[in-house]
Amino acid sequence: MIIKGGIVYDPANDVFGEEMDLCVNEGRIVEDAKGEEIDARGLLVMPGGVDAHSHIAGTKVNTGRIMRPDDARLGIEPRSGVCRPSTGYTVPNCYAMGYRYARMGYTTVFEAATPIIEARHTHEELEEIPILDKGALTLFGNNWEVMECVRDKDISKLAAYVAWGLRSARGYGVKIVNPGGGEAWGFGSNVKSLNDPVPSFDVTPAEIIAGLARANEMLHLPHSIHLHFNNLGKPGNYTTALETLELLKDIKPGRMRQVVHVAHMQFSAYGGTSWRDFESKAPVIADYFNSHNHATMDLGQLLFGSATTMTADAPLEYGNARLTHNKWSNHDIELEESSGVVPMVYFRKMLVNAVQWAIGLELALLTRDPWKVLMTTDHPNGSPFINYPEVIALLMSKPKRDAEMATLHEQLPKRTSLGGIERELDWTQIAIMTRAAPARILGLEDKGHLGPGADADISIYNLRPEEVDPSQDHVLVKKALAAAKYTIKSGIVVSQEGQILATPEGKTFWVDAGVPQADMDRLMVDLQEKFEKYYSVRLSNYAVQDAYVPNPKVIRAGIKVEPMKEVA
Amino acid sequence: MKTITITPLKAFEISVEAENISPDKLAPLTLSQIRSLEIWQGNRKRKLSDLFRAEGDDDPAKAEDVTITLRGDFSRVKRIGEGMTAGRVEVEGSVGMHAGNNMKGGLLSVRGDAEDWLGREMRGGRITVGGNAGNYVGAGYRGEKCGMRGGEIEVGGSAGNYLGEHLCGGSIHVHGDAGDFPGAANQGGTIFIGGSTYLPGAEMTKGTITVKGKARILPGYQKIETVAMDGEDWQKYAGDLVENGKGELFVRVGSSL
Repeated sequence: MIIKGGIVYDPANDVFGEEMDLCVNEGRIVEDAKGEEIDARGLLVMPGGVDAHSHIAGTKVNTGRIMRPDDARLGIEPRSGVCRPSTGYTVPNCYAMGYRYARMGYTTVFEAATPIIEARHTHEELEEIPILDKGALTLFGNNWEVMECVRDKDISKLAAYVAWGLRSARGYGVKIVNPGGGEAWGFGSNVKSLNDPVPSFDVTPAEIIAGLARANEMLHLPHSIHLHFNNLGKPGNYTTALETLELLKDIKPGRMRQVVHVAHMQFSAYGGTSWRDFESKAPVIADYFNSHNHATMDLGQLLFGSATTMTADAPLEYGNARLTHNKWSNHDIELEESSGVVPMVYFRKMLVNAVQWAIGLELALLTRDPWKVLMTTDHPNGSPFINYPEVIALLMSKPKRDAEMATLHEQLPKRTSLGGIERELDWTQIAIMTRAAPARILGLEDKGHLGPGADADISIYNLRPEEVDPSQDHVLVKKALAAAKYTIKSGIVVSQEGQILATPEGKTFWVDAGVPQADMDRLMVDLQEKFEKYYSVRLSNYAVQDAYVPNPKVIRAGIKVEPMKEVA
Repeated sequence: MKTITITPLKAFEISVEAENISPDKLAPLTLSQIRSLEIWQGNRKRKLSDLFRAEGDDDPAKAEDVTITLRGDFSRVKRIGEGMTAGRVEVEGSVGMHAGNNMKGGLLSVRGDAEDWLGREMRGGRITVGGNAGNYVGAGYRGEKCGMRGGEIEVGGSAGNYLGEHLCGGSIHVHGDAGDFPGAANQGGTIFIGGSTYLPGAEMTKGTITVKGKARILPGYQKIETVAMDGEDWQKYAGDLVENGKGELFVRVGSSL
């Protein structure tokens, strides 16, 4: 296949809007190829989109579906052509996840939080999501074994547990959600600061985070720790965010990448002492990212309208449920986590929601290096992923932001700096924030770029970057991004003009990390006792079997692995 | 005026989804266009003329000038008058589930019975049923926080369970009995039940429920006072206190069980 004459944005290979042909053979980008020609003359061409943080599969997502039959009614599309039926808006069914991402030009999506014991369910759903390559991050932040290793300062055993946990969950990386808070929630409380001890474990959130970060780097995992801060979603929590980032700045990365990826930064950049004097602290957070290189973030942009909040941060969801009087699911996950789900509507006329909306945009615009910021909505917490084109249009157009702000609460300009920000992102920066950076941050060598050898995941949009001014023509931009002219996945045209043409099965990435046998033996003594005493399943039935991951792509890591080469 | 008469060609064993039978949909169409409208029976797509005979005026008209007469048995035909904003639908027999669903205006009159979900999430207009209605009259569909928000429903016979569940506005008048839990989670609508019922107003936060016959009252209701209406004494209750509700429940003195 040859893609002719597109205006290509491939920032990982220093291609910034150059007219060039792309050649594809056997699912990969190659120097030269024959066969089908795709006419992309003058059109915007980028690598397939990569979403590093989205809740697309697992028990939490399914709980959302069960709780929200009302949501299922919103996105009904009957079976047609190669497509099975779609339902849902904030919590679409598995098929719709694949189709809707593919229509927008996305080809790789990572599920952001899976407890090990529920990973089998996650993989059952991932298998049903067509087209996309995917992976799932594994939750470690409230795990009893983790906290005991941290308490005993036994980082080698902790590394062994992380390696064993990833293998058992067929997981990709270390996700930490409100460390210690999920365990405290089992006793009806929460941890309120980094140094607040976790009940009955004699460890603090700071120790858990630093311990897991060290283990993560010891194992040379492709991704860094992926952190949902303590105190998330509370006014004044930016101090917790900064303290946590400071904690990690001296840790040496095991690979050429960040030491910590901060999930949905928007929810942790809050000032004020209560919702009454709630304000944006995005400029302070952005300054920190501008002056430090050990951390990256995704936005967790909030948009007005319907959302479904779902997180392993169960005390947060209790707060949401009390605030909204809405339906609430609360879940205790044995020795590993707690979690919650609450439907949510964000209102334009509500000042707090408007400030939250502005904070996400501020973070993206005030952080100078786009390699540090991923565009996400923390689907479906801030907004469903289907609204990414709206976020991109806002980032690219000051007039659109001004027009939007004019419809919001009059107090908004006093609570945020968004109105004074002139910066408008260009296609290079968008290509970094939605393609190149997420691939690099996740450590996916063959994703997010179009160099020879990369996976032939390509999106081509009905937009002429040399003619269209995104600042003025933001309506066109949004329309074009919502339905790619072509989405190509592993060399197959999967979507054309919003119509799904093929539904190949995607791969599932997981990380297999090697650790010394002696550490593993010490660990197994602990685990046998835990399974005997506390777990509802037996150790032998715990791990996800290979049958649940039919198309695995295993990435090797481990203590003995030489630090890998820099990605892209 | 534009009058259309629709008659089923046979008794349906498999239900028909007829959201296209509404004045808004038929008003701009000629008879031959009406006959080729898409209608689903089970999982098969069909033309209206495969299942029904349609006769009447050929000229386009405004929706408010359209009268659709449904003659014969429509008890297995669902979603009649869905989303209609004006005009009249007159059913000489019975209707299937979801009739007048999301209706915004106009009149849907049914001489026979109506199945479940009559006027669910209705916004305006009027529905009258001569016979009985099924469960969930004027309710919100699964998971929805708001059912009927406006308009009127009148049922000559009795109604099933969960009458007006999640009601947010509008009024429902049932001349006969109502089943269990009428007005559950009522947030501002009005319900009048001429006959008896069981456990009205569970989780009601706002609105009014009046029961003329016998009723079992939930423990979340507090007696307020006795009031005289239409020459009779009524016990007024406030509730549902479980939800700190401000709803009003009137039951004829001596009728509470």
